[in-house]
Amino acid sequence: MANEFAGSGGLAGTTLRINLTTGEIKKYPTDRKLMREWFGGRGVVAKILYDEVPRDADPFGPENLFIMSAGVMSGCFIPAGAKIGFGSISPLTNGHGDSNMGGHLGPALKFAGYDLVIMSGIAPKPTYLYIDDGTVELRDATRYWGLGSLECEPAMKKDLGEDFEIATIGPAGENGIRFSCITHDFGRQAGRTGQGAVMGSKKLKAIAIRGTGSLKVHDLDKLTEHVTAIIQRTKAHPNMVPWQKYGTSFFVGWSNNNAVLPTRNFQTTYFEDAEAIDGPALVEKCLITHKACFGCWMNCGKYTKAVLPGKETVYLEGPEYETGALCGSNLGMTEINQVCYLNWLMDNVGMDTMSGGGVVAFGMECFQRGLITTDDLEGHTLNWGSVEDAEHFVDMIVHRRGIGEYFAGGTKRAAEKIGRGSEKFAMQVKGQEMSGYDGRYAPGMMLAYMTCDIGAHHNRAWTITIDMAEGQDTIEGRANVVIYMQHIRPLFDCWCICRLFWGELDIEPEEIVEALNYITWWNIDVAEALKTSDKIWNLVRCLYLERNQANGRTFDYPPARAWEDKIPSGPNAGKGLSWEQVEGMLDDYYACRGWDNNGNPSREVLHDLKLDFAADNLEKIGLLGKPLPNGIPAVRGQRYKAKAF
Amino acid sequence: MTIKRIKVTSAKCTGCRLCRQICAISHFGEINPRKAALKIEAHFPQPGVYRPRVCAQCGKCMEVCPEGAIYRRDDGAYIVVAEKCTNCGLCIPACKPGVIFQHPDVPYVIICDNCFKCTELCNTGAITIHVRPVKESA
Amino acid sequence: MVVFLKAGGQLREKLKPDVDHYTRKVKIDGEKTVAEILKDISLDPAYVALIHVDGKVKDLSYKPSDGQTITLQPPVSGG
Repeated sequence: MANEFAGSGGLAGTTLRINLTTGEIKKYPTDRKLMREWFGGRGVVAKILYDEVPRDADPFGPENLFIMSAGVMSGCFIPAGAKIGFGSISPLTNGHGDSNMGGHLGPALKFAGYDLVIMSGIAPKPTYLYIDDGTVELRDATRYWGLGSLECEPAMKKDLGEDFEIATIGPAGENGIRFSCITHDFGRQAGRTGQGAVMGSKKLKAIAIRGTGSLKVHDLDKLTEHVTAIIQRTKAHPNMVPWQKYGTSFFVGWSNNNAVLPTRNFQTTYFEDAEAIDGPALVEKCLITHKACFGCWMNCGKYTKAVLPGKETVYLEGPEYETGALCGSNLGMTEINQVCYLNWLMDNVGMDTMSGGGVVAFGMECFQRGLITTDDLEGHTLNWGSVEDAEHFVDMIVHRRGIGEYFAGGTKRAAEKIGRGSEKFAMQVKGQEMSGYDGRYAPGMMLAYMTCDIGAHHNRAWTITIDMAEGQDTIEGRANVVIYMQHIRPLFDCWCICRLFWGELDIEPEEIVEALNYITWWNIDVAEALKTSDKIWNLVRCLYLERNQANGRTFDYPPARAWEDKIPSGPNAGKGLSWEQVEGMLDDYYACRGWDNNGNPSREVLHDLKLDFAADNLEKIGLLGKPLPNGIPAVRGQRYKAKAF
Repeated sequence: MTIKRIKVTSAKCTGCRLCRQICAISHFGEINPRKAALKIEAHFPQPGVYRPRVCAQCGKCMEVCPEGAIYRRDDGAYIVVAEKCTNCGLCIPACKPGVIFQHPDVPYVIICDNCFKCTELCNTGAITIHVRPVKESA
Repeated sequence: MVVFLKAGGQLREKLKPDVDHYTRKVKIDGEKTVAEILKDISLDPAYVALIHVDGKVKDLSYKPSDGQTITLQPPVSGG
């Protein structure tokens, strides 16, 4: 049965609002004005969270919303128009949280006729959301509850049919582990900000979607011509073959050679055994097949298996770079099958491999320093490079046994419990663990972590090659670059397409916006896109301040290791950041953003972005930024000269 | 004169479904992979392979069609005459690779017509054009 | 002898291609390693994440033969 609300311009037409407590399901026509003004995806999530979630709502409570948004480009004929965004107040950061994944779920949602699904409340029993075109039901998921993510998906496909696209959480999400992820397509994850934990708190085990409808776009002929030309042109791109072969996994070696590879909980940036966990080793030893998301011709996904003595052979997707670094060198793993196994383990229990890798690494360093002992670990050790130790520790965390309870909240909360100086090496910002790059000799990257709106994540800005080009010893100009990146990269999360390939294949932002204009009715240019992204960024910042009730600057610091410890070994031994540089970068950053020196947005900048309502709210709680002595910059984040996404 | 069909190399398929996207766009002017005339079977979590299924040009559909709505073109393709097809679906179980499709919006069955738009877009070589000369006696 | 260097993305601008959009022809005297060739054309190897020759990964010590194409992969901009 089709939906009554017809879509166009890349929109499927219908918005679902579901109250999980009462089971009420309502359909509305998608608010086209909201989509246009907030760009769909991440932007619309930000606006809805800002407008609808009470400021004191518990991320795990019924008032928090769990939102799925497939944006305007997902499902359309556009390279890797495959993404789906999830959003809610993050249990890790207590601010706006969004995370997205590829695969086929986003397109399926759109083909079923829905742009947005907004869920509130808490289901009385384990439930899954069933969408089959016009049919939307909340169904009993008792028989799936407790299953691992990678076990639940095939079980549900068996019950519902192979042509359903399925997203699940694992036991970690069910048990409220704050860094839990959502898994789909046997290895695609929305990992960050604990979206899986929010799903679990709502007793929502899974989402199953089948869609058979068509998507209408503004000008299909021009879109087809434009996109076909991009695909044909980039087939011969020099990056294509290596990318298809290794995905992002080959990047471990480069990171190691350039002093950014996190090693043993970011103690150093050089790992002696990096070659053994690098992409070529993965492809040679573990690869089964290359795997692509919907509509993507670059197939970065590597479907692999891990064979370890004494363990059952396991099948998984990955590890990509982040997992290779954070579950590899960061845990001291010296063989690629070990990394694959840990990747599978975390995927199946349903924890983010990035935060999960960070949390286990933090545990290992605590053990190394004697802050936790075998007495805390049920008689086990927690040594670098031991898969058995890591597996046991993960099990303690997932089931919240003993000291696992401390770590279930992530490194920040664990450090608060463990104390004794461990805060210094809890490698997180705002509660979210760092991505797989050490920023100590890449100041822009450190600033990117410090100021990222969802905690220390690389997705918003990645500057390491720019740091190299501009000078790793200086912080000059880095604030502007980080802001530019923080505006251009999240646009992909708004429009729900993949960011990776645009940067890798010399596709210009103008070409993306041209495609967007063939899909939508918007008729915008890159400058307008960037300004809207600026608006979203500021709204997310305002929400963070309102929820956490303190000056923004207090939340923007990295752990003390960032400036107290120099890199001890490897090609950049002895290098590092100083406290003055950390402070200097924040000063520059706030000035470039039009925020005051406390890191609070000023009325002038909020007015320029038509966010006067947010300025009023900040003023009420005394967190509106003071007027800047020299006014605000006309453009925040000037376009960087080189190609950079 | 040559006969053409789509050749499949399963090991190269990554499951991106660009082929299905362009197929539906070319034939229906719509973004809707459910209207494509080929499919990708995904076998996960084990063994972890994608199998593209395409028209094998076996002609079983033409044999079972009670309306004479399917004919064989010189290039080997089996073409559905939309006006004659009653959408009875008898051809569907006859198709071994399972690539005859029905869609609620389309009043006739969807069968590959050898346009090869899919092979043009495929970036891995999983589907290519297979050409063979027609035997003189045929 | 002659070798061809190929690069896209951030590396393309640094390579300064002259043969086609992505390729630069480099004349070298006798055998040289990739590291030496990059030094000759003032391209910092720090910007090269992967060296690919005939579908195989090589390192900076690889000595290409006459007429070979060496593909240089830039770093992923945040995987």
